[in-house]
Amino acid sequence: MDPAATTAPLQNDCETELESKKLGSNSVWSWWPSWRPTSMSLLKTTESKILACIQNDLWARFVTLPNQDKIWTLTLTNKVVRKSAEQGPKTPLVMVHGFGGGVGLWIRNLDALSRSRPVYAFDLLGFGRSSRPYFPSDAIKAEEQFVDSIEQWRKSVGLESMILLGHSLGGYLATSYAIQYPSRVSHLILVDPWGFPERPQAQTQTQDGQSSEMAKRPSPPRWVKAIAAVFSLFNPLAVIRAAGPWGPGLVNRFRPDFKRKFEDLFDDDTMTQYIYHCNAQTPSGEVGFRAMSESLGWAKRPMLQRVSLLPPSMPVTMLYGARSWVSSSSGDLMAELRKEAHTKVMLIDDASHHVYADQPEEFNKVVNDICKSAD
Amino acid sequence: MFPLDSPWNISFAGCGFLGIYHIGVASCLVERAPFLVQNAKHIYGASAGALTATALVTGVCLGDAGASIIEVAKEARKRFLGPMHPSFNLVKIVRHMLRRTLPADCIDLANGRLGISLTRVSDGENVLVSLFNSKEELVQACVCSAFIPVYCGLIPPTLQGVRYVDGGISDNLPQYELKNTITVSPFSGESDICPTDTSTNIHEVRFTNTSIQFTLTNLYRVSRALFPPDPMVMKAMCKQGYKDALHFLEKNGLLNMNGPLRDRPRLANEEESEAGDEEECENSESEDKLQAKEKAVITYESPTFDEHIIEYLPPTLHKALLEACMERRSLAQSLGNLLPFRMASAMMLPYTLPLESALSLSVRLLEWLPDIQEDVGWIREQSIKILHRILNHASRNFSQRVSARLFCKVELHNYQSLPSRASSTSLFPNWVNGSGSKVQDVIVRLDQYKKQLLSGVLCINMDLQGSFKTGCASPDNSRMSSLPQQDFNVPKGFLTDPRAGKSGQTLTRSKSFW
Repeated sequence: MDPAATTAPLQNDCETELESKKLGSNSVWSWWPSWRPTSMSLLKTTESKILACIQNDLWARFVTLPNQDKIWTLTLTNKVVRKSAEQGPKTPLVMVHGFGGGVGLWIRNLDALSRSRPVYAFDLLGFGRSSRPYFPSDAIKAEEQFVDSIEQWRKSVGLESMILLGHSLGGYLATSYAIQYPSRVSHLILVDPWGFPERPQAQTQTQDGQSSEMAKRPSPPRWVKAIAAVFSLFNPLAVIRAAGPWGPGLVNRFRPDFKRKFEDLFDDDTMTQYIYHCNAQTPSGEVGFRAMSESLGWAKRPMLQRVSLLPPSMPVTMLYGARSWVSSSSGDLMAELRKEAHTKVMLIDDASHHVYADQPEEFNKVVNDICKSAD
Repeated sequence: MFPLDSPWNISFAGCGFLGIYHIGVASCLVERAPFLVQNAKHIYGASAGALTATALVTGVCLGDAGASIIEVAKEARKRFLGPMHPSFNLVKIVRHMLRRTLPADCIDLANGRLGISLTRVSDGENVLVSLFNSKEELVQACVCSAFIPVYCGLIPPTLQGVRYVDGGISDNLPQYELKNTITVSPFSGESDICPTDTSTNIHEVRFTNTSIQFTLTNLYRVSRALFPPDPMVMKAMCKQGYKDALHFLEKNGLLNMNGPLRDRPRLANEEESEAGDEEECENSESEDKLQAKEKAVITYESPTFDEHIIEYLPPTLHKALLEACMERRSLAQSLGNLLPFRMASAMMLPYTLPLESALSLSVRLLEWLPDIQEDVGWIREQSIKILHRILNHASRNFSQRVSARLFCKVELHNYQSLPSRASSTSLFPNWVNGSGSKVQDVIVRLDQYKKQLLSGVLCINMDLQGSFKTGCASPDNSRMSSLPQQDFNVPKGFLTDPRAGKSGQTLTRSKSFW
């Protein structure tokens, strides 16, 4: 299906330029100097600076879905592999980024992973350079819209089956996708996925040892809860947008880690600028995320309740950063829940939540090994 | 598995009153993996972390340190406004406690191993101090590192002649980027040893290198960093630190380990001396330790593991903390905590506050006396600097705004000086010749200006001036003849010396008119 994948979306290629212009000036107020120093074209420039690092064949274009939403898609192929593809087509790897990110964050992985097989990376609906449609505030519907967009995207690109890799929010959506369209996923790789554990019920502690411990633990006072309630009225990254001209500085100040993770590729603020431009646009995917989450980050519909719906035959690998605050215990729980099925939990040492950027070599090696086993 | 084959560091994050968490972590490290502390190349700290780092390096009894922190917190909580009350002098208390607890030979232990993060006031840069000349200097470094501007006072303290403030402002987790640094932070996030909140929030903030996850509990912790919580809560935090450190050791396989083989002889020696240092502090620990270890091994993996371990906070530490917590149960205190009393004190606040403020102010002034000269000098220096900067900025702005006008004025000045030169051509022919082309240039440009923007009156003046110049200069200036002169072929007799003076005057007037 490799040739099909490369021929089907040809007609979308010319829309690349038009799209960014249309999105940039869709409002009556376009003449008004913007409060936020961002635009789709700025995002495009920053992204192209990042993508310039890629050595393999890169094909970047918008894939138009039937409902006219556009998904910004990267396709990476290795010439040498294409020639040898006749011997046996390799299952392509599809990478789904996390919350507030975009395809640019995979920069340290795309080249290495595309050496042996085609790699697809796309901006989730409502994130990065993809369309930013309205998202319903209902958790089920929002999730459906995300998952639908992935399925429509797959159809438009013309993939028959894929190895699906999701990070953080992408991991949640990838699992949800795999539950609904199991035949399309030959292997599910979840990297520090979000939204798996259920929210613990503090009141239902029965063991006396535990309850005494709970009593000792400082439970947040009322005013903290009040602040949290106020926060949850806004979109998660509203601060960055409200800060206007200070937004880029804010990202630089409070997420210097992004700059550091990629400092061997870019010695300037390219990465933090990319993050800023990705998130300073009209919030859309963020709205969808907020619909799916509750009270500072718990998923309304925790994935652990649903993993049993995954077909037992589908192999799942969960990669966790050893230093990440996403606890790998949910991975262990998932392995327990899918007893008979092939579920593997792996920890990558000295890696934070952004495993793929902290330890790219090991990450790439592990993912490559998984992909090989999936063929 | 933590790589022990290369040198490692330990870094404590700054966190205000949550420093009690560090005490818990430190006591766990000392108790369960002493080699990890003994052989650490550097132990860094910022703010409250610096205090723990100092205690750890100099071998101060951690129970005392923990009790001290709780005492300070209690002192801060005693008053209605908490630490913001004018009579609460944090710097003084910290300095006093450090002087009391630090051993005399502390600098021998600290030099080269202890790194205290400071922020230099003059340029806001981070400085890691690791060399101390005396105990007093070490104390001063800790005070500097904990000095949060405004919260602790307005005049930053000096160390070795340089003004410093809280290290957390520039680097709250020193050397965290080194691969082999064990980072300790009381805020749940991506540090090596930190509490794990049961939250799946994907938002995270980096406060000068300290990773802080955006959770409800962290929000609470941040609020408590400067406004200390109840002593019992602080004790729970200490336990939490102990538990988290234990978890870290467990996860990295460092528990029940005696360290790398090559370090053993050294380690043994150091352990002995350490034991000597802390003999009176932890003599009753050994049997409990053994028990705890067994428990730890057996009950690991079971959900109640944590709760069992918690009971085994080092007894001395436990006792010290308990005592520190207990004191407040005195009759007067508990009476003062009753609602009517608290309400009364709140209502009396407008009357008592000025009195107390005045009192504490005079006490502070008295204490300030020895340093007053130096500090006043510093304030004057700073204000002069600020004034200079403002003036510089203002003058630059001003010059930018008027530069266009000035430029034209300069042109006119050049022009105005022409008549005198022209009249004395016979005296300085070479000089005039040299500037002749420049002069000609000015005339041509002015001619253009004249056409474009000058008013009628000025126009006439210029015209006259121009024609005068060429008429006068052409006889003895061969180079000028080569320049375009079609415009200036006015009869020579038309211009005379008195006219030149007159036109010069008019020009001066026209300049001011412009």
